[in-house]
Amino acid sequence: MENRDAILTIPDENGSLPPKAPNLSIGQWFRKNLFSTWVNGILTVLGTAAALLMLRGVLNFVFSENRQWDAVRTNARALMTLTYPESQYVRVWVAFGSVVVLAGLSAGIWADWGRLPARRLAGWFMGAAGFLAVCILVREPSVLMDLEGKTIRLPDGSLVRESFASAMTDRANWWAVVALLLIVGGVIWRSDSDKKQLKITQVTYLGIGLGVLSLWVAPYGHYAFTDGTYIADPNSTVAFSTKMPWTVMWIMLAIGFFAGRWLRTSSYLVLAKAGSNLLWLISPVTLYFVILRDPALDYSHVFSTDLPMGLAFGILGACFLWFLTRSDIGEIGRILATAMLGIAIFNWVAAFFGWYPMLQKARISFLLLAVAALLAPNFVGEAAKRRQLLLGWLGTMALVHYLATMINTPSTVELQSTEFLGGLGLTLFVAVFVVLLSFPLGVLLALGRTSKFPIFRILSTSYIEVIRGVPLISVLIFFSVMVPLFLPDGMELAELGAVLTGYTLFSAAYLAENVRGGLQSVTKGQYEAADAIGLTSAQRTGFIVLPQALRVSIPQLVGQVIATFKETSLLAIIGLFDFLRVANSVIPAQSEFMGVKREGILLVAVIYFFFNFVISKYSQRLERRVGLGER
Amino acid sequence: MATNSPPSIDHSRPPLYRDVTVVKWVVQIAALALTLGALWFLADQAGDNLRASNVPTDYDFLSVNPGIDLSSGIDTDPDTGGRALWVGMVNTLRMAVAGIFVATILGVIVGLARLSNNWLLQKIGTVFVETLRNVPLLVQILFYGAVFASLDRVTKDVGPINGWLHLSNKGLSLPRVHIADGFYQWLIVMCIGIFIANEFRKRRIRQQDATGEESYPLLSAFAVLTFVAAVGWFIHPIFGFVGEIFGALSSFVSGIPQTVLQIAIGVLCVGSSALWIRSFLNSRRTPAGLARLTDDDYFRMIFAAVGGILGAIFFLILWPGLSSWMINSLSDLFNVLSNKFGDGRTGRPIDVDLPNIVQTGKFPNYGPSGLNFSIGFAAVFFGVVFYTAAFIAEIVRGGILAVPKGQSEAAAALGLKRATALRRVIIPQAARVMLPPLGNQYLNLTKNTSLAIAVGYSDIVQVGQTVYNQTGKTLPVVSIWMLFYLSCSLSISVIVNFFNVRMRIVER
Amino acid sequence: MSIDDATTAVSEKLAGREDMIVCVDVDKFYGDFQALKRVTATIKEGEVAVVCGPSGSGKSTWIRCINRLEVHQGGDIVVDGIELTNDLRNIERIRSEVGMVFQQFNLFPHLTVLDNITLAPIWVRKKPRAEAESMARALLERVGIPEQAEKFPGQLSGGQQQRVAIARSLAMEPRVMLFDEPTSALDPEMIKEVLDVMKELALSGMTMMVVTHEMGFAREVADRIMFMEGGEIVEVGTPEHFFTNPTEDRTKLFLSQIL
Repeated sequence: MENRDAILTIPDENGSLPPKAPNLSIGQWFRKNLFSTWVNGILTVLGTAAALLMLRGVLNFVFSENRQWDAVRTNARALMTLTYPESQYVRVWVAFGSVVVLAGLSAGIWADWGRLPARRLAGWFMGAAGFLAVCILVREPSVLMDLEGKTIRLPDGSLVRESFASAMTDRANWWAVVALLLIVGGVIWRSDSDKKQLKITQVTYLGIGLGVLSLWVAPYGHYAFTDGTYIADPNSTVAFSTKMPWTVMWIMLAIGFFAGRWLRTSSYLVLAKAGSNLLWLISPVTLYFVILRDPALDYSHVFSTDLPMGLAFGILGACFLWFLTRSDIGEIGRILATAMLGIAIFNWVAAFFGWYPMLQKARISFLLLAVAALLAPNFVGEAAKRRQLLLGWLGTMALVHYLATMINTPSTVELQSTEFLGGLGLTLFVAVFVVLLSFPLGVLLALGRTSKFPIFRILSTSYIEVIRGVPLISVLIFFSVMVPLFLPDGMELAELGAVLTGYTLFSAAYLAENVRGGLQSVTKGQYEAADAIGLTSAQRTGFIVLPQALRVSIPQLVGQVIATFKETSLLAIIGLFDFLRVANSVIPAQSEFMGVKREGILLVAVIYFFFNFVISKYSQRLERRVGLGER
Repeated sequence: MATNSPPSIDHSRPPLYRDVTVVKWVVQIAALALTLGALWFLADQAGDNLRASNVPTDYDFLSVNPGIDLSSGIDTDPDTGGRALWVGMVNTLRMAVAGIFVATILGVIVGLARLSNNWLLQKIGTVFVETLRNVPLLVQILFYGAVFASLDRVTKDVGPINGWLHLSNKGLSLPRVHIADGFYQWLIVMCIGIFIANEFRKRRIRQQDATGEESYPLLSAFAVLTFVAAVGWFIHPIFGFVGEIFGALSSFVSGIPQTVLQIAIGVLCVGSSALWIRSFLNSRRTPAGLARLTDDDYFRMIFAAVGGILGAIFFLILWPGLSSWMINSLSDLFNVLSNKFGDGRTGRPIDVDLPNIVQTGKFPNYGPSGLNFSIGFAAVFFGVVFYTAAFIAEIVRGGILAVPKGQSEAAAALGLKRATALRRVIIPQAARVMLPPLGNQYLNLTKNTSLAIAVGYSDIVQVGQTVYNQTGKTLPVVSIWMLFYLSCSLSISVIVNFFNVRMRIVER
Repeated sequence: MSIDDATTAVSEKLAGREDMIVCVDVDKFYGDFQALKRVTATIKEGEVAVVCGPSGSGKSTWIRCINRLEVHQGGDIVVDGIELTNDLRNIERIRSEVGMVFQQFNLFPHLTVLDNITLAPIWVRKKPRAEAESMARALLERVGIPEQAEKFPGQLSGGQQQRVAIARSLAMEPRVMLFDEPTSALDPEMIKEVLDVMKELALSGMTMMVVTHEMGFAREVADRIMFMEGGEIVEVGTPEHFFTNPTEDRTKLFLSQIL
């Protein structure tokens, strides 16, 4: 909570004090914030001692001679993508690069992060220097080694450590970093005579750039994970093998950003916004199933079946919809739409009983056609509106058939594990897909729970409450064990598919509760006004209720995204190789790093922390700017 | 009147497909039918597949020896599957209760630290919260587990305080406080003591109201309770006769014929739905007679009636085992209770055992006399406590910040001391905001104990997994999990709701 | 002037006009509470009817029954020859013929003023967007705030918001306008600007049914005033009759409290 105004007022017991009050001298600041009463003084002393001890513990843990960080470095690639073959690795970079460009583009179009006083940046540098200096002082002196590189123990079993003075001289390079930070901070502070403001985007970008640049200077350990064998090869380092791609990513980020900035001033802004949203929406499927998986397209099948089928659905469906949006259609439209829904549902029933074969994408297309037909009455009228519906339909069909074809085609990438992706890639994949899939389901459940139709309400409520009452792990176990039993003969679902289903159903219940909070904040008057001007209930929900409800529940929805991401770690328990499993089971099983667990898990924790912290901070900013979250 | 001649209105019923009521209920019933149909279909399919793969879905395993050893719990070598699951449940509950207790204390401390005007404490609190809530619980548990597993091997004198506190890669061993043979008799003394103390408190409050002098009602009630407890420590054997009462109850319950109970349950179902319909009709009755009922009202009554009748049929015909199960377990319960009394139980109600280290085979290990926490327990415990405490801290902070500043100003203007203002003005209001999310966190903590499966602590999920791996009866085990967790959720929400309602009344 | 004379006077003025709203024996219950007791009234085309009465007298409930925001449980309501029944099509038709203005404005806060007004014409009346927008701007001109089209409701004052709400209802080209205490939530200095718009509307011949406590408006504009209490219409008459010579004691009491 950074409440700048509080500097001027006397802070009450609740308000947090800003650390740097400009009108206080250092002594005053200390007295006011650390030693205002004697109780406070004692707390400060105790707190300092505790904090330093904790810091010492953490540093001793991380830099201990017993730590084998090689285990993590060597397995860097396993942690990221498990067994994805090295020869195809460029695909990973392309996928990652697409996301980077898209992120840059969106930041260029939307982001307006404001400015940062240069002096605060300087303060960060100097603060970092101070913190680093404390760390260097607090860390225990290193353990002395004998000539064979083994630790020396005294008769009572304790380790022999070097003296404090020699420890400090050993850490000369760290002191150099401290000095460098101090100098940089000082230079910024001194040069900033006119109270300059730096753009946050530029600072962020340069910060990332520094990180990338360091790869060219510092060889961060070594790696080798080739052809399924684990080799610790000192000549081949992570930094050297990835510095080039990372640099390219960094440049692409800038290109994307400037393209976005250019679009922002151009006349295509609306189009660009819609386009980038659409790209975000289709990128998960495309990147995963098309780029990473490299489907081996059978062109004869594509031209004989897939393409004609897609075209048939597109064109015939368009004709059907064109007919349904005639202005004199009347009741016939509704009857035809309901009939189409009946056909679509019948197709699924038939699928379960195995009455007649049909491609799954045809069933999906029929269902979508029924939905479009039900929506059609809203588009009755002028030609422009009818065209909107038709274009929407053709676009959906193109997308659905393209993706269905790609997903159904086997991959050309040769893998050693059953699952296609592993490691962090799998974690992100599951998180992204669960969030995407559970969103519509959650919104539907929330609408059901707040519906004025009692049976819908009872069904949604009991579903939500039952799911929320049981732990995720039991749901995941249930699905991974039971789904194969639920399916009729001849249908199969991969373990990952079953888990995704279970996790999506679970997450949707929680999401529904968040959306429900938003729905309840929409006043009764909004419903009445929408009814009074004659909107249908679908229009009322789509135009009036949901836009307001979703806007209110953004903070909770972001919280739900974070929770979903955190809980992907449970995949490790039910036997999928996410990066926690790699750190917890795969690495400790390698003969070189037998039982080395803590390093890998710590790295996993840091990665999770980084993602979650960034998302939650961003959502807090968003919340503060929109003025939400004030109760 | 204004309209001398009301125009003749042509009353025509709309066609069914345009009638609001018809459409509304057809859609709903279709949705219900679709849902039930899909569930039925899936269940049918699963049944077929299970029969095909020769895995019957009965609950026989509950009474069969599973042949498994549990890592910790009240009974590490259970002789039936049911007993094993019961041990798992106790372990889960033990973890949940201890976790809730410690996490609340820690969370409140951290939350207050974040609000203090000491800059350093604020920052420590912030780092605590941000770090712990952004790292997944499972990662934390595995990490703590890995750290504990790398502690020193257990030896004869492992320390740190030999004979009192042992810490090693086998876990933690502490002095164990446990109930001894006089406990239940003493418990009756305590019940009487609580009653007396409560009366005493009320009297003290009345006294304070009458005279205006501070009479410390809670403190004095506590003193009375302590006194009774101390006296009861020695005189509890006089309640040995209670055992006979329980014995009589047990034989009475087991004498109830099964059919009587069965019919009683059926009557209860039908009767409660009939009562509900009657009170519903009464609530709609105007002084002039029956109000017009809406379609919702009719359907509610229909559903209530159908539900009552279906329930009665279910209990009467389809599940007769329920009544015998109820009779048996109730009689068993009374039997167990009756054995806890009398028969020369004159010892202390509560006893303490010190931990020891025994060497049975090649390696020394913790003996059974101490309170032993395995590595798994410690990892899960620290995991859920730290993780939940971070969230509780945020709730506490948010709750106190939610009380408007004007409230503390008003209290100060009335001349209340800060402590009094906090106790009487701020905290009651903050508690009202904090309670629902706190209840949610307690629920989450309980559910999160299921992650014990990752470090091998024998909670219900881990035990269940072992059981179904041995017997192949996944579905029954999963159903037991679900029932167990659902009843935990239900109890926690009932408790939270109880306090919530009380708070609201206090506030008014 | 007796009540029958007053009725006659009204009847003469509106003689030959068509019935626009007909209510016969309308009943409405909330649980065991009866909010409307056999309410019977006819409102002619072009008539301005003001409904007044103490709070809780059922006047808002009645007006909300007329476009089925509340469902009446007994009697009949016919609007412009369409009976209000369970028939989905009739409900749709009545709602697009009846405009309603609320006490709390109920503008859609996430849409601009222009979008608020064009939403229903585009999606319910199926008008082309360009046409809807030009009509919306004309309506904003008519209610006196043409320059606020691109703003969001939250940026407007209460009086401006209520005028936007009136424009939003008018955009559906309704045959009847219902006003449910349109000025009750407004600061005194803003009441006049809304009443002026309503007067202009009344003069243009719109059929209006207004629930209000603004007796000045009633005296000036109304063709007929209906007084409700306890869910019943107690007294009906021209403004002249109503203010100078009320017959019922309850009316007198009410007037003495409010004037």
